[in-house]
Amino acid sequence: MVATTGLPAPEITRPRSLLVGTMFACAAAFMFFLGVVGIYVVQRAEARDSAGEWFPEGVVELGPSGFIFWTLILSIFTIQWAVQAINADDRNNAYVALAITGLFGAAIFNQLWFIINDTGFALAADDAQFMFFVVNGTFIVFLIAAVVFVAFTFIRALAGQFGPRRAEAVSAAALFWNTVVFMWAIVYYLIYITK
Amino acid sequence: MTMTESPPVSETALPAASPRVVGLFDALTTTDHKRIGRLWLRSGLLMLLAGTVLGVVLSIENSNSSPDDLFGGVNSFFQYFSLYRFGLVLLVVAPLFVGIATVIVPMQVGATNIAFPRAAHSAVWLFMIGAGTTVVSVVAGGGWGALDGVSSGERDAIALTLVGTALVIASILLASVCIATTVVSLRTSGMNLLRVPLFAWSMLVATSVWLLTLPVALSNLALIYFDLRGGPGTFGTRFDTAEDAGAVYTQLGWLFEQPQIYAFAIPVLGILGQFVPVIARRRHAQHVIAVALIGLFGLLSVGGWSQPFFQGGSHDEKFIFIAFGLFAALPVLGSIGGAVATIAKRSGAKPSGAKPSDERGPSDFSGFVSVHGLGAIGAGLLLLAATVAGLARVIEPFDLGGRTTVTAVMNLVLYSAVVAAIAGVWFWAPKISGNKLPDSTGRLVIVDLVAGALLLSVADFVNGFLEVPAFQYQVPFDPAQSVLVAEPSNQGLVDLMNVISALGAVLIALGVLGVFAALAKAARAGEPVADNPFGGQSLEWATSSPPPSGNFSEPPGRVASEAPLLDAHRDNREEA
Repeated sequence: MVATTGLPAPEITRPRSLLVGTMFACAAAFMFFLGVVGIYVVQRAEARDSAGEWFPEGVVELGPSGFIFWTLILSIFTIQWAVQAINADDRNNAYVALAITGLFGAAIFNQLWFIINDTGFALAADDAQFMFFVVNGTFIVFLIAAVVFVAFTFIRALAGQFGPRRAEAVSAAALFWNTVVFMWAIVYYLIYITK
Repeated sequence: MTMTESPPVSETALPAASPRVVGLFDALTTTDHKRIGRLWLRSGLLMLLAGTVLGVVLSIENSNSSPDDLFGGVNSFFQYFSLYRFGLVLLVVAPLFVGIATVIVPMQVGATNIAFPRAAHSAVWLFMIGAGTTVVSVVAGGGWGALDGVSSGERDAIALTLVGTALVIASILLASVCIATTVVSLRTSGMNLLRVPLFAWSMLVATSVWLLTLPVALSNLALIYFDLRGGPGTFGTRFDTAEDAGAVYTQLGWLFEQPQIYAFAIPVLGILGQFVPVIARRRHAQHVIAVALIGLFGLLSVGGWSQPFFQGGSHDEKFIFIAFGLFAALPVLGSIGGAVATIAKRSGAKPSGAKPSDERGPSDFSGFVSVHGLGAIGAGLLLLAATVAGLARVIEPFDLGGRTTVTAVMNLVLYSAVVAAIAGVWFWAPKISGNKLPDSTGRLVIVDLVAGALLLSVADFVNGFLEVPAFQYQVPFDPAQSVLVAEPSNQGLVDLMNVISALGAVLIALGVLGVFAALAKAARAGEPVADNPFGGQSLEWATSSPPPSGNFSEPPGRVASEAPLLDAHRDNREEA
């Protein structure tokens, strides 16, 4: 025994390392995203100050991106449903919730791919189109990461690795998912609403 | 319910020994934080050696009026000049602190391993791949942009440099997550955040700041890369106009300018706060204040906002930049004040109410001339000098932006970090490698490094007032203009300062060679070392040297203060 005080060693509680680590990773991911978005905002402001136009009129539409936004809002409920189900030891509900969340992710990817193709933008055309690709591309990368995280959590849940006393992996997946949803809220506002 | 929980890690059976990394397979598969940390340290020290040699060559070249002598042209000189700066920050200082923290922090908080050991292990290999890619790409003609146009091959090499830098930053971020999580969630019972040893606390603050700021650099690297590989040239990647000359470097230059540069020296305050109580053989006089001051220094070193795109170019007149520059010296001064108070409390009369048991061992001054004592004091003073130089940098009438004063601040900060890290390697060598490094060589190394850093930086600081630009061959898009941008106000004094600067670089290189000599000597000697040879007060000294796999032969008991070994010593004395 390494003697440090006369007091007896207390019972050691299980640390929530995964959740804490995910919080740090989410913060870093969000700062990466803000780095891209910040430059987008600056570029747009400079373009408007000089030329007055950023995207060509009518090319970037609000409708399809709105579907993504509302789908992501729904996915917040499904991922939290999974967390709740795991905490209640209701595995069937947890499987369903995680699977639906993953499907939402795939659907969003599909929709965003459609939007990018629909604009007909080219990477090298001008600053606006380049930044459009980069911001949406950054979001896609984080979306894929979130879907993989949820899928991995789903597989581990199927393997019976989670329960009421060990739910931090599902909470961590939910935290990352919600961070990605917040990223889209910013993209939606900056690119698709205010253009 | 199917329970798949494994028992808490600290209750698992603990093998008796923690062998070093002995082969490639071992190095590729280990999840022991001590082995992983040693890999980081070896990488950082090798890069330090290469970086200081490059620094000598650059200093000699800087003394000449033409960049063609050693580097064959202004573009090549620019690439190696950039490599020195990026290298010192990302390939030397960050990995040295990450390496020490990976070995020591889990033990300091009473954990059996680092959080996410596989991720920590991936990080070190990612770093090695990234560092190798970066260096090779610069040698191949790449770098962080260009000054006077590029060939197709050089363009590819620049892209490779960007990828290498991104890998290095990603590896530091991954390691940061592991270290920060270890401090937050793997602390032993009774150890709240105010009782965390100051080095572990400073690493928590530093890694948090890195996690909030380095991703901004990473995102900028990604933007530049895609712009280079098919974008419209938004980020200066066409390299065929005067505006593009050095544009990429400028976008990333905030990494090694204040306030961001201070983020790489946050652990210096932790090492200062950790070592001074050991050399004074007392508790830290102002532990809680030291915790707050390290946090404040971290806050004042958040520099992601100073990315040039966010500032519309120069940020010299922005309120936040001036405020950060003015106040950065305060936490450093406060930390040094805390160290002085601790020493004074030891050597002077005891204040009323002081417990006699707070003092441990005989009162002599040997600690002050120990390697860690000299290192802590030297690093603290260098950092104080850096923040004072940084303060001068933000005072508008001096107009020191873009001049060598910026280089002086960078060198002072980074060499204070290097000195602190070297002192840390000496101090924790029994826990890192199981050996004690030679004191005589260590003292020489520390004095040499501090003297070299001062010479190097004082020369640059003075040159800044003589209107010498930070990069002497700035924006020479027209090769005919590859000369000094502006003639300094006193060329004779500038030349003298350049010689002094070169002398400082040589001293630093000699000091680094001394480090390698000491490591080789210790490896050959292999003498056994005591578990707590310096009278350390935190938990890493409660285990054997070298520590067993799992760090502690038995789980540490409940911690009741920031100096648990002093508590144990007091309890033992009271029982006796």
